Amino acid sequence: MAYIMKRTASRLITFAVVISLLFFLARSAGADPFERYLSEDPRIPLEQIERLRARFGLDKPLHLQYFDFLWNTLNGEFGYSLYYKRPVFDVVMERLPYTLFLMGISVVLSTIVSFVIGVYFAYKRGTKIDTWGTNICMFVRSTPHFWLGMILLIVFAYYIPIFPLFGALTPGVQHENWFEFLKDLLFHYTLPLTTLLVRQIGMYVLYMRNSTVEVLGEDYMVTAKAKGVPKMSIMFKHAARNAMLPMVTVTAMRFGFMVNGAILTETVFSLPGTGRLIYQSIMNDDFFLLQGAFFIISITVLVANLVADLLCAWLDPRIKI
Amino acid sequence: MQYNQFIKGARTFASIYRRNKSGLLGLALLLFFVFTAIFAPFLAPYDPYKRVDRPILPPSSKYILGTNDIGQDIFSEMIYGTRVSLSIGFMAAFFTVTIGTLIGVVAGFMGGTIDEILMRFTDVIMILPSIPLLILLMALFGKQSFMIMILAISILGWTGTARLVRSSTLSIKERIYVEAAKAIGAGDRHIITKHILPNVSPLIIATMIYQVAGAMMSEASLAFLGLGDPSHKSWGMILHYAQTSGGWYANMGYPAWWWIIPPGLCVALTVTSLVLIGQTMEEIINPRLRRR
Repeated sequence: MAYIMKRTASRLITFAVVISLLFFLARSAGADPFERYLSEDPRIPLEQIERLRARFGLDKPLHLQYFDFLWNTLNGEFGYSLYYKRPVFDVVMERLPYTLFLMGISVVLSTIVSFVIGVYFAYKRGTKIDTWGTNICMFVRSTPHFWLGMILLIVFAYYIPIFPLFGALTPGVQHENWFEFLKDLLFHYTLPLTTLLVRQIGMYVLYMRNSTVEVLGEDYMVTAKAKGVPKMSIMFKHAARNAMLPMVTVTAMRFGFMVNGAILTETVFSLPGTGRLIYQSIMNDDFFLLQGAFFIISITVLVANLVADLLCAWLDPRIKI
Repeated sequence: MQYNQFIKGARTFASIYRRNKSGLLGLALLLFFVFTAIFAPFLAPYDPYKRVDRPILPPSSKYILGTNDIGQDIFSEMIYGTRVSLSIGFMAAFFTVTIGTLIGVVAGFMGGTIDEILMRFTDVIMILPSIPLLILLMALFGKQSFMIMILAISILGWTGTARLVRSSTLSIKERIYVEAAKAIGAGDRHIITKHILPNVSPLIIATMIYQVAGAMMSEASLAFLGLGDPSHKSWGMILHYAQTSGGWYANMGYPAWWWIIPPGLCVALTVTSLVLIGQTMEEIINPRLRRR
């Protein structure tokens, strides 16, 4: 219990630090929003800008503004999107499920697949399969997400037209039930998911392989072999279980990295997720939307991170809950 | 004396490195790209910022990689792009490693509350998604600026280096010769510059190689998202234009593959070569890895 509290508290502090940093960065970059967006238009009289400023509390001293900002952010008040003319919170929340769907599936699948392949490569270490496999993984890990997506699009949507070119659902189709809906969604997400999965698997296979190889050198592995434990059982019960732990420690960085991948992938495949929203907000010069999307995505990452932490603690009895 | 030691160290390093096949492959690849970057004006057949022919011409003997949507030679764009991509990668990595080393040494050497605060801060930056944060920084301080991009990448990229340098500073700090130096009254500054920095420097060089790879990846992503400096066309930016200006259907309804495939391939090859070099260097520095 104490462990859970401590972890949650540390994530809350992280978020508070992020909010504060952003507030002061935004201010140190100069120009409050009215200067930024209104003062370029000479037709707006100065008094009106001043009045707007007073209305939004921008004439208050900086520390009071900071508390206002903090309070509003905690209440989900991220302001209005300049492009959509709607509250930022609503715009982002509409699109968040698509990104969560993309990320959730790829986290689960890539963990399982890279676990199995990693252990297999470790088992075959030093052979041709291992050497080629790890080399391919290393190359895949070095390719940019968006390029991988573009190549998949060229091959599987243009020259061999199996998959759709863009979007998350077939436009104009009313789905009869949720099964039809899911089928359509998965069909559209096949290529984006493949893009993310290939990159993720390329990374985690290497982690898993190396840590398994390290565990295989331990004394208790020799003991297990001497005892006559079957090979498969040695690999998956003895080696892989212990090799999992270093993999688990990289999960912390993993969710942040996944978001990066999601932004690029969603941009390439024109998916209606938060990632592409971030891209569009740069294109439309919509700073409040960008900021709000960033906050919400960060909260998501921190929560996912916390869940992963607690899950690890539950899996590994050495960490006391 | 120290100079001789350095030469000796470099010789052993080279002799081990020479036996590593993948390390040599990586080095050859990287040298190829560096060569291209340096001699870009002599290698590029056309000016990459000028229109040379009709738009969207497929590859031919005249234009090796065809032309883009405004009739610029893509092969020349690629050659000049090497310059931009590599220089952003190396410069950002240099700043990254400098910041990381500074924070790592201070945290490891001072310990206590300072260490705690710095490491907490490192965790904060490490957990957050880097690309949205980079975008936000660039949106605040200057969207399509060459220098702002380098600074933004460095300001967010130092965390890994700081952690590594901190942990090795901690172990060096406890060694007998540092104790001895302290006993005869050496100051903090002496210990840091004469004992700790020389001992962490091999590690710093190896991480720097990885940082170049990471920075190039970030640069490519940011440029692809349209945050690159239009007067410095990089590989990522070529892909950005391909994505936004009709690279998908320009080839009579089909994608202009000659426009899309080369930039990404070059990013992938450069990053792979850097990773190969980094791995080889790690193996040399850390002999425990070599035996495997």
